[in-house]
Amino acid sequence: MITWYAVSGAIEQGLVYGMMSLGVFMTFRLLDFPDLTVDGSLPLGAAVGSVCLAQGMPPFLALIPAAFAGFLAGSVTGILNTKFNILHLLASILTMTALYSVNIRIMGGPNLPLLGLPFVFSPLIEMGITPFLASPIVFGGFAMVAGALLFWFMQTETGQALIATGDNPKMIKSMGVNTHSMIILGVGLSNAMVAVSGALIAQNQGAADVNMGVGTIVAGLASIVVGETLFGSRAGGSSVGRCVVAVVLGSVVYRLAIAFALGIKVGEFSFQPSDLNLITSILVVFALILPQLQKRLRK
Amino acid sequence: MMLRLNGVRKYFGRGTINEVLALDGVTLDIEKGEFVCVIGSNGAGKSTLMNSIAGTFFPDEGSVVLQDNAITNWPEHKRAKFIGRVFQDPLSGTSANMTIEENMAIAMLRGKRRGLSRGVKPAHRELFQNRLKKLELGLENRLHDRVGLLSGGQRQALTMLMATLVRPDILLLDEHTAALDPKTAELILSLTRELVEELSLTTLMITHNMHHALAFGSRVIMMHRGRVIFDVRGEKVKSLTVDTLLESFHSVGIAEFSDRMLLV
Ligand SMILES: Nc1ncnc2c1ncn2[C@@H]1O[C@H](COP(=O)(O)OP(=O)(O)OP(=O)(O)O)[C@@H](O)[C@H]1O
Ligand SMILES: [Mg+2]
Repeated sequence: MITWYAVSGAIEQGLVYGMMSLGVFMTFRLLDFPDLTVDGSLPLGAAVGSVCLAQGMPPFLALIPAAFAGFLAGSVTGILNTKFNILHLLASILTMTALYSVNIRIMGGPNLPLLGLPFVFSPLIEMGITPFLASPIVFGGFAMVAGALLFWFMQTETGQALIATGDNPKMIKSMGVNTHSMIILGVGLSNAMVAVSGALIAQNQGAADVNMGVGTIVAGLASIVVGETLFGSRAGGSSVGRCVVAVVLGSVVYRLAIAFALGIKVGEFSFQPSDLNLITSILVVFALILPQLQKRLRK
Repeated sequence: MMLRLNGVRKYFGRGTINEVLALDGVTLDIEKGEFVCVIGSNGAGKSTLMNSIAGTFFPDEGSVVLQDNAITNWPEHKRAKFIGRVFQDPLSGTSANMTIEENMAIAMLRGKRRGLSRGVKPAHRELFQNRLKKLELGLENRLHDRVGLLSGGQRQALTMLMATLVRPDILLLDEHTAALDPKTAELILSLTRELVEELSLTTLMITHNMHHALAFGSRVIMMHRGRVIFDVRGEKVKSLTVDTLLESFHSVGIAEFSDRMLLV
């Protein structure tokens, strides 16, 4: 059975991973750039944020270096792709792989526990709000701010050029936009969001771990397709506002679905947390082939 | 002088067995206000000529000078400041996922710095609507529609407006009506004429239709195997006929293409 505690935990996770999903949305949908860097930039953000925290930086401030580190990682992928003509997928795999070593260097080991340190939601707890309400509130706030910022940015002159770069590079080049810069900027910003998300996740879990990023891209995609299916159109472009909301809600629904699946018991059988990546991949595969199946059925 | 190409040579697949000399030392001066029509058989190098002006790639030899700027090594996006382009594929010139006004707002900033102010400025809407009214396609009432919803002809008309929204020093049209049905093609052509006259643009238009070339061009250029083999300007264009053009084709031994062109 699924408990109220599990539901609250799932919402909290959905919100804290929401910012990550927005980052993936930005590359995957807006820039048309499948970017696996995120599997490395999520723990990178966690590592940098946690080290800063451990050095005594206030928990909110510690997110800024994390964002910078994420941006840097993303722009490395962007540069490999644009300036050195490496296929986007391969470029991102290379960065992701390199980040594994970098992250261990940053943390001085494969993980970094954050015992007895102040977190972003600590002020609320001090005000007397129970922890299992405090963190969803704080993470919800973060998801809203991140969504609003992304929405705002995409309406700016630069953001519009970025969307057009993903949609029609030939056209936007003829309009005087340097598509290389746009890709580097876009993949950078995306990974900055993912890294901040990683830093928050580390605070939520009380530790940063080099393996916490495994499956990030697939979870992000799952949130996007769930959100698009349930709440909104799949087109990027002018409907960014709606997509942003759909992606964050999709992230929450996705985590709820996972919590629900983990609660299922059929006789002796029940899912384990380690089955999660399998379930998620199947979900994404299904969402990707669904439109094709529909087309075939209609014929 | 608006544009000067000096001995421009361009190879594709240089050093491989597929090596093609697409431009074989083209030298060309285009004066301000000229309407240059480029004709020639398939693979003659017409698009390559245009792309080397637009900066899609850099020439292997030779130089390109636009007004007083030596732009030979400028990347495409940097040259876009001076150049308006319309492609053959009507889907190429617009962003399908974005709305009509978003596309036009992007075109408003051609060659300018893009910052963090609002992309679509409310103050520009009236200008967009006025430009769109000109098309008589009812698009002025559809500013918020995704461009993907428009027909190919409507998209090409919008691309024409976008290419000229900020006045370009030179307008490049690469068979921009070839993918359209005859009626829509005529519409786009008359729009082309209107815009070129209104803004007194310098224009380079590639076409396979010799009638169009003669009707529009203040200068007609014929290309063959990467060279300009025929170049007529001014008064002499008026005395040109499709037959004389065909004769010139035959004289260089490309009868096989000229028959096809006559049919267009
Ligand atoms: N990107 C490219 N890579 C390799 N070869 C190319 C490329 N672009 C053009 N070519 C070759 O260069 C030559 C000139 O091509 P171009 O496209 O300029 O011809 P065109 O005159 O525009 O012909 P068409 O009337 O068919 O459009 C052709 O032989 C073509 O195959
Ligand atoms: Mg061509």
